[in-house]
Amino acid sequence: MNRIHRPTFISGAAAVSAFGFEWRGLGRALKGGHIGFSSSMQLADSHPGIFASEVSTIPGSIDAGGVKTQKLMSRPARLGAIAVQQVLADSLWNERREEIGFYFGVGASGGSMVELTEMLRASIVDRQFSLARFGSAGLAACNPLFAFQLMNNFTLCHGAILNGVGGPNSAFYSRGNGTVAALFEAMHAIADGDCERALAGGADSAVHEVTWAELEREGYAKQGLIPGEGAALLALSSSDNKALAIVEHCVFQNSIEALSMDLDAASIDFIIIAPWGQPARRVLRRIVETKFTRAAVLDISESLGDALAATPALGWVAALDLLQSKEAKRCLILNAGIDGGIGAVVLGQTPTSLEHRA
Amino acid sequence: MTVAVITGAGVVSAFGIGVQAFFDGLAEGGSAIGPIGSFDASSFPTRFAGEVPTDIASMAETFRNEHLSGGDTHLQIDAFRDRKVVFGLLAALEAWNGAQCAQREQEAALSIALGLEQAFLEDFAPIFSSGRIDWKAESDIAGANIRIRSHVGLCADLLGKLLVLRGPTFVNASACAAGGLAVAHAASLIQRGAASIVLCGGADSMVNPLGMGGMTRLGAPSPRNEPDACRPFDRRRDGLVIGEGAAMFIVESEERALRRGVTPLARILGWGSTQDAYRVTAPRPDGSAARNAMLRALSRAALQPEAVGYINAHGTGTQLNDVAEAQAICGAFGRHTDSLPVSSIKGAVGHLMAASGAIELAACLMPFQRNLLPGTAHHREKDPLCEINVIGEQPIEANIDITLSNSFGFGGQNASVILGRYK
Repeated sequence: MNRIHRPTFISGAAAVSAFGFEWRGLGRALKGGHIGFSSSMQLADSHPGIFASEVSTIPGSIDAGGVKTQKLMSRPARLGAIAVQQVLADSLWNERREEIGFYFGVGASGGSMVELTEMLRASIVDRQFSLARFGSAGLAACNPLFAFQLMNNFTLCHGAILNGVGGPNSAFYSRGNGTVAALFEAMHAIADGDCERALAGGADSAVHEVTWAELEREGYAKQGLIPGEGAALLALSSSDNKALAIVEHCVFQNSIEALSMDLDAASIDFIIIAPWGQPARRVLRRIVETKFTRAAVLDISESLGDALAATPALGWVAALDLLQSKEAKRCLILNAGIDGGIGAVVLGQTPTSLEHRA
Repeated sequence: MTVAVITGAGVVSAFGIGVQAFFDGLAEGGSAIGPIGSFDASSFPTRFAGEVPTDIASMAETFRNEHLSGGDTHLQIDAFRDRKVVFGLLAALEAWNGAQCAQREQEAALSIALGLEQAFLEDFAPIFSSGRIDWKAESDIAGANIRIRSHVGLCADLLGKLLVLRGPTFVNASACAAGGLAVAHAASLIQRGAASIVLCGGADSMVNPLGMGGMTRLGAPSPRNEPDACRPFDRRRDGLVIGEGAAMFIVESEERALRRGVTPLARILGWGSTQDAYRVTAPRPDGSAARNAMLRALSRAALQPEAVGYINAHGTGTQLNDVAEAQAICGAFGRHTDSLPVSSIKGAVGHLMAASGAIELAACLMPFQRNLLPGTAHHREKDPLCEINVIGEQPIEANIDITLSNSFGFGGQNASVILGRYK
């Protein structure tokens, strides 16, 4: 159940992360320990001194949309939209974009705290929230289009709108597994003939005041979770033409007990784990230590922090880089969320993947 | 090919709790839109909604007494601060029981459409000082576990615990298209053999201060605070009205249903989704992407347009949506459009946002259950720009076998799902 054995080909990829705006080199940088954390800029006022994995200043040349459009975007939506235009460029998919499917793991709302604060300032008097004031003044204090920043499906929609991606689609809320579900559904959309090409990945940010406050309250900060942000996408195709790699396997379940990976452990030479918090990390390490003793292991969260819905997808793209650079032949990417959900994706080389696009 | 069937349904709507209350309300041709009672909206520009007619506290209490016996507290009663959570649980229980689900059905997957987190703005008050949020003070605040905002997947988490579901969970976050997509996804899981049974549907409520306020700032709701605020496809329409509630279904293979002695309510024949890829703030005016979602659904169902006997439209009552949807229907159904009855229930129960596609699929069961096509509350004056066959305020009798439901989301996500009468 919930397993695809039919291979789906990868035609391109994109990653936006603290590593930068390029997916090539990501896996090697992670392997080499070349990506570190720094004091968060986005949380500097609200939570000073927090270390994070943040995307650097976005160059205008690669940014998504104009200033007006960006005001409608949450941070994950903006990162996601950048990833969409990059993955389309990387896969050279410039035609018939209206037929391309799009399945995306998205997180919670990520609206502007400036807008929220303005709203609250007009609505709170003497530490009492006033509905009357909120209705009469608080609402008027915020940008009329603030609600668009709160809609988490816009993490998918902005990228689709800006780039004309019009095929079958779904946004899945993700605490890890929703992003794997997005990949799973994209693969099925291709296998079922709903589309010949599809994008699959995730975008999210834990470097948001409210999200970080929740992670602190829930104890993840004390456990050492480092907030991260990013977006990553794979361009999937039914065609092996110029394929970079194959998605060989995609499976996920609500619990480790229910997960059956049915893999040839000896064939896996590299594992990337993407845990959300320490309990998840322990679960994944236990799987690796008991089933995959021969493989090299890399914990993506130790370098890129936890970018929530984006992290599993960043893991896939990092694995793709390792495959492309011949540092691995078959990679397993394992993710686990705070809800007990667990997913496994295997990427492997194609016969031609080493021959083109160095 | 494996046929996916609906074997149970549950609804919570402005007409009340339960599928029968929903069908009764639609059958009477009435509207449940009225002044907001769950919070003091008197200072808000928008003060009318399709509100579930029970206060959430008593609903939660009922739920606690009837379903949480033995002092079971793992369901986090304070989670019911988020109104959609209790709606989702109640609708799911009705569907579960209606489909005679038992222990064996706990292998079910869950595919649910859920709206945004509910924000609790009042929770900011104790930590708001000198014009800013003092997050350092947040950890000192005692109180409910669900603070500042609920999490998007909360209802799914609780459903999994309540029904002890063992299958994987999918939370669809595709705005107003999510409900249709979640049910389509369930059928897809059944058809490909990826699940044997799926609990699916949607739950949402934006009848809360930030939900109502945010939508009002966007200019989406009708500016008129009157019971007929939403007038789908009417020449005088001026906006939507926000609703709340849930609709949940049990979907399984026909073979499985019959094996366990359950008579299906309907077949899920086809589905399709597309993206407008047009603008953030408006649907594609020519409706071409929405048309393609319907054509995809027809193609998957291997049906000609003439086979469809009724369309439950997205029909929000906004200027732009209704014209674009009418264009889309004309494009997909051609000459059949003139004889194809179309209605929208949003004038009656409001726009349930993430749950709208699910409750409108429930409305698509009414023709099979009662040989009635729902009317379009408050549709009185035909709009020449909407050249489709809109059913008026009263339902009409009809014996049809195929229904299609459209759901179009903010951001351009489109979903169409086709149901067939079970014979």
